[in-house]
Amino acid sequence: MSLTDSTPAAAQRFVRADGPEKVTGSGRYAADLELPGMLHAAFRYADMAPARLAGIDTSKAAAMPGVLAVMTAADVPDLRYSPGIADRKLFATDMVRFEGEILAAVAATTPAIAAAAAAAIEVSYESLPAVTDIETALDPAAPLVHPEWADYQVDEGIVREGNLACFSSIERGDAEAAMHEAHTVVTSRYVADGCHAVPIEPRAVAAQWEGNKVTIWSSTQVPFDARAGVCETLQMPTNRVRIIVPHLGGGFGGKCGFHYEAHVAALARAARRPVKLVFSRAEEFLAPDRRREGMVFELTSALDADGRLQARTGTVLIDCGAYVADAAFFPQLAAMHAVGPYQVPNIKIDASLIYTNHQPSGSVRAPTAPQACWAVESHTDELAAAAGLDPVEFRRLNAVDSRTVGPTGQTYEEIGLQECIDAATNAVSYGDELAEDEAIGVAIGWWPTFVSPAGAFLKMDEDGSVQILTGAQECGTGAVMTLRQLAADELGIDPERIEMIYQDTAAAPFGPGATGSQTLVNNGRAVIAGAKQIADQLRELAADQLEAAADDIVLIDGIAHVAGSPTAAVAIDDLAATAAGGELLLGHGSDPFPEPPEAVGTTCVGDQGLTAWVGPQFSCHAVRIRLDRDTGVVRVLDVGAAHDSGTIINPAGALGQVHGAVMMGIGQALTEGTVYDEHGHQRNADLLEYKLQTIADVPHIHTSFIEPPTNNAGPRGAKGLAEAPNVATAAAISNGLAKLIGTPVRMLPMTAERVWDTIGSAHDQVAAATEGHGK
Amino acid sequence: MSASFLQAASVDEALAALDAGARPIAGGTDLVVGARQGKAPLPAALVAIDRLDDELGSISDNPDGSLTIGSLVNHLRLMSEPLVVERATALADGAALIGSPATRNVGTIGGNVMNASPAMDTGAALAVLGATVHLRSASGPDRILELDELWTGPGTTTARPDELCVGLSLPARPPRSGSAYLRLEYRRAMEIAVVGAAASISLSADNLVETVSIALTAVAPTILAVEGTAALAGRAVDTNLLDQVAALASEQARPIADLRASERYRRHTVGVMARRALEAAAERAQGIKLGVPVNRNKGIGVSL
Repeated sequence: MSLTDSTPAAAQRFVRADGPEKVTGSGRYAADLELPGMLHAAFRYADMAPARLAGIDTSKAAAMPGVLAVMTAADVPDLRYSPGIADRKLFATDMVRFEGEILAAVAATTPAIAAAAAAAIEVSYESLPAVTDIETALDPAAPLVHPEWADYQVDEGIVREGNLACFSSIERGDAEAAMHEAHTVVTSRYVADGCHAVPIEPRAVAAQWEGNKVTIWSSTQVPFDARAGVCETLQMPTNRVRIIVPHLGGGFGGKCGFHYEAHVAALARAARRPVKLVFSRAEEFLAPDRRREGMVFELTSALDADGRLQARTGTVLIDCGAYVADAAFFPQLAAMHAVGPYQVPNIKIDASLIYTNHQPSGSVRAPTAPQACWAVESHTDELAAAAGLDPVEFRRLNAVDSRTVGPTGQTYEEIGLQECIDAATNAVSYGDELAEDEAIGVAIGWWPTFVSPAGAFLKMDEDGSVQILTGAQECGTGAVMTLRQLAADELGIDPERIEMIYQDTAAAPFGPGATGSQTLVNNGRAVIAGAKQIADQLRELAADQLEAAADDIVLIDGIAHVAGSPTAAVAIDDLAATAAGGELLLGHGSDPFPEPPEAVGTTCVGDQGLTAWVGPQFSCHAVRIRLDRDTGVVRVLDVGAAHDSGTIINPAGALGQVHGAVMMGIGQALTEGTVYDEHGHQRNADLLEYKLQTIADVPHIHTSFIEPPTNNAGPRGAKGLAEAPNVATAAAISNGLAKLIGTPVRMLPMTAERVWDTIGSAHDQVAAATEGHGK
Repeated sequence: MSASFLQAASVDEALAALDAGARPIAGGTDLVVGARQGKAPLPAALVAIDRLDDELGSISDNPDGSLTIGSLVNHLRLMSEPLVVERATALADGAALIGSPATRNVGTIGGNVMNASPAMDTGAALAVLGATVHLRSASGPDRILELDELWTGPGTTTARPDELCVGLSLPARPPRSGSAYLRLEYRRAMEIAVVGAAASISLSADNLVETVSIALTAVAPTILAVEGTAALAGRAVDTNLLDQVAALASEQARPIADLRASERYRRHTVGVMARRALEAAAERAQGIKLGVPVNRNKGIGVSL
């Protein structure tokens, strides 16, 4: 890591303001809330799916002692919602499309009574055939998951038809022609299962009304999106809905979006009592519309005689599940990852988001990227082999670099991908001799930096201490905690003098929330802008007292002094006291965000604006693995993770993100995958059968941050970070395995049994070939 | 919630409670977790035996060379107690693989045996070590059962509801003997056996097999003792023998197919586990030290 002594305060120390409470157990989460007279909520989910709803009778449930409210679709405004494609209702009306579909909600005096009442609701169904295979879902004969799809309200430019929820393509040059002229053409197919975010805290929501205003405590990553969802579905103005997030017990994208806040608010209004909903682990697996999507990839690439990429065509199918949730942008993002950070002049990628009767997919940490990177980078090792090149040499030859043109025509400024390749491979001594049954796989990845509006208020009170009011949301990354370091550096004070008011939509201006690795980039920009205003006020006050020009005042270490004259100084606390008797020290920030660069020469059907990226992030993971050939069990021993995420402002937080993401990537690679039955119901919706990696599985992780100067990004050249390290790990493991087996494992997760089957097939092929030669 | 809960102050008090219909609880790692998962509600009446360490918590080295292990001995102690590690190494291997450190701190050998799961990690080890189970009741004489007399199916035993497991006995082992338990694991903690195998072996002075015993985990309704191992006496522990043992294990296994593995994969890997367990047991019989759990030495879940 290239940090130096001149790095600002923010980089040198990092105190998580929320740390002590979380570690000692005094911190409170949404499920801990107890409100006077509070009731408990339970949902009634679909007993079979898909099915047509023939009738629903809540009378027995409503008559049960202790039940104060029972709600169905009849009790809320009849409308469809969801960003991009409004295909969802709070409660099912005519059809249930997946097993986590909500038919009714109950509020009762105890959780047990609520559960019993939910079970007592009588529902009759007519079973429907399930759509579970994305490869046949677009057949004209396939049943429609949404027979009324054509009536839905959708955003302009969205391309869709029937079970094709959303289509997007990217095209540049003439890929077909280039294929014909190529020296080598390789085609590959890869299939990735869906998986889950699995935050440790199952979500909880509580709601309490005061007159016509409601306060909702929710374990959401995106309080402002949650508020928007409540306002849309219950038809309320934003200033009467307040979302507060107590401590959040992890999210990983699974708690992005609007989920159950409106259900609980509606129940509380009907029951005239506060109501709390707490999910079980099974509900956390089955119900939310934030599952990592299953995908199918068909990729064909062409090389010239030197092994240079000439063209890529590809088809990407994405399992949308029963509703679109926030996945309308997935096709183009997946298409970008199906190309990857390579200099390939001719591309044509078609990506389709396809309705099925599975749980809806939605943004989980770097949506579509780990699967797509796994497929593309495994394909890339097949290309390298076809070209007779070492996989690392192949990437050095073909990957983008500073001042080169990427596959969609974006010209890069200073980027660090080639340096990432060096750092990651060096970290695991790539090229050195390895023990038997060990190999090093290498993969590269990329990820955008997302920009959006965000605001912040700041105030310095009479004692010189500061409050930041920010719309930022802490989901465990520590990124919010970094905001006070940014303000401290502007104000010249100790970060410990700054407190933050956050996770409350009534207190702070809008922020995008803990989604898309945006906190530092967007909320950071707002906080710095607000802090600068107070810093300017302090300089004016100091200039008056010191009889100097405001521009010559330096704020540092709690002192305002004249530049070059450290003794001509006044304490910032004294300036704050002075200001408290007159013009108060207040700041507010919401600077415009960077403009996206141009994608020159790229055309798209169903463009979603993702073909050129602000502050593109790059990464290389090199993973040393050992294979137990007799069982197919893989152990990850060493991970070299090198990242260009721009300037690293908070090294401790950044390392934490890489370590956590690598472990998530190992899980996706080896053990985490949803298994469905023929109805599209999950068979492993629990922590015994859905196998997360454990602390005992953690390999040695060697992290490097490459920090090229980055103009078009966040504060001080920071890009995002929370998602980028989740992109390349599974791909690198795949490439290590392919070296050991002689062929890739073409299914994700690469479970022990799948690995063992692949070894067996490889043996069979070798045996058959040998036998053939013998004859 | 159970309607009644008695903290027993003595084994006699616990036996009286069992006689009156209560069920025993020690670590609760099966009972409480099962109730939370909705497998079975907690019994109406519980008698807690977890404070009866004086009577049920010791490991004794008997004059005849046998070991007696109290039913309250927890898995952490089994995996770290030198007597167990040296003389019943397979049991230490199995105990060391159970759940997490928290599970091993509270889960007991008595509970593990009486829960009678075919996937239990101590079961195959106890089987190849020839363990017997001591049952006591308020109403009748003590009973000492062989494991195959105790276990009748997943979660079922021949123990009467009024009987309490007070301990296990492991008979003396001949000189130049060793044992090992291996488990297939997809991750290195919080894992449940997909398949596993234990082996015990005793060798002659010239390293030929005198006795060998193999038992399999999670491939039948109970822990499965492999038949036909008597015929291996007098043979050297070589590739042929290991292949033969792997084949015996795979042939005799009656695995199911489920989320964790297919029938075919289980049948194959239980043979791999049996081969490795026997190889490890034979190395230990020759005085070669292999750490506990031996999973970390034999290819699965290797250490960094």
